[in-house]
Amino acid sequence: MAWLFRTGLAAALVFAAAPAFAHHGWGGQEEAVTTLNGTVVQGVSLAGPHATMKIKVGNDVWDLTLAPPARTERSGLKEGLIPVGATVTVRGNRNLDHAKHEMKTIYIKQGATEYHVYPDRE
Amino acid sequence: MSSSLAHFFAWLEHSPLGAFVRSLGVWSYGVINLVHILGIILLFGSILILDLRLLGAWRRIPLATLSQPTTRMAQVGFVLAVCSGIPMLTVKTTDYIGNPFLLIKFPAIALALLNVWLVHRSTAWRAHWERELLPAENRRLAWGAALSLTFWLTAITSGRMIGYW
Repeated sequence: MAWLFRTGLAAALVFAAAPAFAHHGWGGQEEAVTTLNGTVVQGVSLAGPHATMKIKVGNDVWDLTLAPPARTERSGLKEGLIPVGATVTVRGNRNLDHAKHEMKTIYIKQGATEYHVYPDRE
Repeated sequence: MSSSLAHFFAWLEHSPLGAFVRSLGVWSYGVINLVHILGIILLFGSILILDLRLLGAWRRIPLATLSQPTTRMAQVGFVLAVCSGIPMLTVKTTDYIGNPFLLIKFPAIALALLNVWLVHRSTAWRAHWERELLPAENRRLAWGAALSLTFWLTAITSGRMIGYW
């Protein structure tokens, strides 16, 4: 009985430790870079695992996922800098699932100001 | 996901705790996440040692010698995990609407805690402080240990996967 448990347990641990089938970040995104022009619905938030903002493009509200908060801030983008209603141009890799309007964001431009969130991906 | 759960998530996100955690600066989520991981390390590390003993490993070590420190450390780990997990959940709770892993994780934790309660009130567990256990009592505790590992591993695995959904 105990032997059986031990064997089963070892198998369970191996499965649990196997490499995760997906990874945070870019695995679920398109390779191609998409450019969006829209108006800010919800300004930059530097809380949580990643900074976020929302923009409206046509009738669709897009969830923009930025870098982790500290990195986003290092790109010069702070909370409150881009006001709600501002027009922005955004480049990034959109979700493979086109039903989701979600994009991992590489670059944001508002007026003459550019924010290079992931310069190495441009 | 039911709309009442979605309402609860919105309430949690807009709670004063959520606003407070979001105001703590760019490193706060990472630090709270660190506490959560330390809590899980303590919780699962201790539980693993105790459960393996109950499943037949290290039989030369008296059970009561192991059970006292491991259950205490697991309690500390659980408290750390809860105290960091709730703030993490409040930061952007509505992001988790529709996340299936969340719906696996919390029932798994509930089952794990129910199992803890059932084991600790069993005759076998109460007896192990005072005497050697009978084979039937060892089997009873081995079943509890197997369930414990199943439930906690399910909770940890689904918890980790929340961020990858």
